[in-house]
Amino acid sequence: MQWLDAIIQGVLLGGMYAQYALGMALMFGVMRIVNIAHGDVMILLSLIVISLAGVLPLGNIGLIVVIVPIAVLLGWVLQKFILNKVVGADPLPSLIATFGLSIALQNLMLEVWSADTRSLPNSGIASASFEIGGIYLGVLPVLVLMCAVVLTGGLDAVLRYSRFGRGLRAAAADTEAAAMTGVDPKRIYAIATAIAVAILGLAAVFAALRATVSPSDGSAQLIYAFEAVIIGGMGSLWGAFLGAMVLGVAQAIGLRIDPGLGILFGHLVFLAVLATRPEGIMARKK
Amino acid sequence: MTQPFQHARVVRATPSSRIAMSLCVIVLVGLVTMPWWASSGNIRWAIELSCYLAIAQMWNLLAGYAGLVSVGQQAFIGVAGYMLFVLAQNFGLNPFVAVILSLIAPAVLAVPTYLLLRRLDGPYFAIGTWVVAEAVRLTTSNIDYLNAGAGLTLRVMTQYSQHEREIAFVLLCALLLVATIGGSYWLLRSRVGLALTAMRDNPIAAASQGVNVGQLRFLIFVAAAVGTGFAGAIYYMAQLRITPAAGFDPFWASMSIFIVMVGGIGAIEGAIVGALIYFFADRLFGEYGSAYLIVLGLLTLIIALYARGGVWGLLKKLGDHPWFPVQRKLVLEDKR
Repeated sequence: MQWLDAIIQGVLLGGMYAQYALGMALMFGVMRIVNIAHGDVMILLSLIVISLAGVLPLGNIGLIVVIVPIAVLLGWVLQKFILNKVVGADPLPSLIATFGLSIALQNLMLEVWSADTRSLPNSGIASASFEIGGIYLGVLPVLVLMCAVVLTGGLDAVLRYSRFGRGLRAAAADTEAAAMTGVDPKRIYAIATAIAVAILGLAAVFAALRATVSPSDGSAQLIYAFEAVIIGGMGSLWGAFLGAMVLGVAQAIGLRIDPGLGILFGHLVFLAVLATRPEGIMARKK
Repeated sequence: MTQPFQHARVVRATPSSRIAMSLCVIVLVGLVTMPWWASSGNIRWAIELSCYLAIAQMWNLLAGYAGLVSVGQQAFIGVAGYMLFVLAQNFGLNPFVAVILSLIAPAVLAVPTYLLLRRLDGPYFAIGTWVVAEAVRLTTSNIDYLNAGAGLTLRVMTQYSQHEREIAFVLLCALLLVATIGGSYWLLRSRVGLALTAMRDNPIAAASQGVNVGQLRFLIFVAAAVGTGFAGAIYYMAQLRITPAAGFDPFWASMSIFIVMVGGIGAIEGAIVGALIYFFADRLFGEYGSAYLIVLGLLTLIIALYARGGVWGLLKKLGDHPWFPVQRKLVLEDKR
């Protein structure tokens, strides 16, 4: 029972990681860029949400409605002024540029919000829970997981069936050939980044509701998102989702064994997947 | 047609490199004699600067030549430091001998790390190295033998007088600089250096010319791990204390990236210029804490966007005066 509980809590934790991983999978799939500041952007949005909640009498839904447009704007700025300049075959410039951005963002947040941990005022939802067969489930984590499923499914459908999705897949496969057939890669990139950061905006609200955030937390979130994407298999959204579940369960089980082992277990599972199935658990056979 | 020239020879040294080489000898002699003329505060600075120079040079070799961008070099700094502390403190080995023996640890860690991560694409390789470093840090903080999160203290150093310690430190630092900077220079001038330069410019073209890119990358990764670990062992021996949070601090990676990018990636001189800039900037502005780090981060961002060659790249535009020339120049002479 104790282990079943650990697995269920792990899956719920995985819902949170899936929201971080989705944006990363999308951006890497399209632009071959890993944004090192991915986690820091999420933390920045969380801190903005917390500050907004202090001045505006908005409910949690209201906060989401406010933060997502801010996130889209942030994504657009990120794309326009940084990422568009470093997209290319050589991964070094994009890595270094976003690494510099990550350090600058982290310390900027430290200046503005100080090193204190903060969270959104508890409106009841964060501590509400219900019981199924002797296992207690938090309402909020279940909501987060459901949200992650809907987002993954929705994004997957958009990529499969919409005009934008076709353009995006074409640009990912061969940017120049796609450009010749009338796809505008810059526009595709901008939309992909905007979507990725918008998802982070949603994740930011959940993260601030669920636990505390502090300016230096971004790196850990980046690593979890990255591990989920690799465990699942690059280029697959459902893969990233599944990878997030595996990571969450690994961490929850490690945590039950010893409180110091939770995160380490996640890393070890990641390394084990890399050693035995480097193409990821969801990748199609070649 | 008569022969247009009679004699051809390959020239490698330039006037600027002769001056630089003489300066290097003077600096090394100055460093080694420091215990007899400098204050212990200055010696501490010299140790720190030597470690920065070595770590940055190793990162430059990795990212600038082998195309292996790592943000996990702190793994090798930490394991070498811990190995030194265990050998000297727990096994009672002479700490100055233990420094050399502790280089086994980064080498042993580097082999499986590379074999695991080589499958990852450029940016994913980078974050992969970070995960390995985090995994090693968390493992270390869970081992009671290593005093878990509290870290170790090098109490055995008290058996040496301060003067003795300083002599040993400056000798180790000189050895470190010769091994990392001198070693990189020697490597880049050798046959392997030609292959590395070709790989830096285009790995696929280099492979088609017969360069074994995979094997070369592996060798560079292990060599850089050992060089980085050497610096780490010296650094934490001077600190007399190591904890998982400090030894495996991701800030080591940030620092290497900053130094090499600002100085100029893909050039030995670049890493040296960058290390000097970072060292003095840290002395002058370090007290501003996070504001200073915001500037460092933005500077790295701007250089990655607009001036990939860094400061050394800008200097080179003013005139080509290499300190460590790795190219070969064919000089044709008419002896008649």
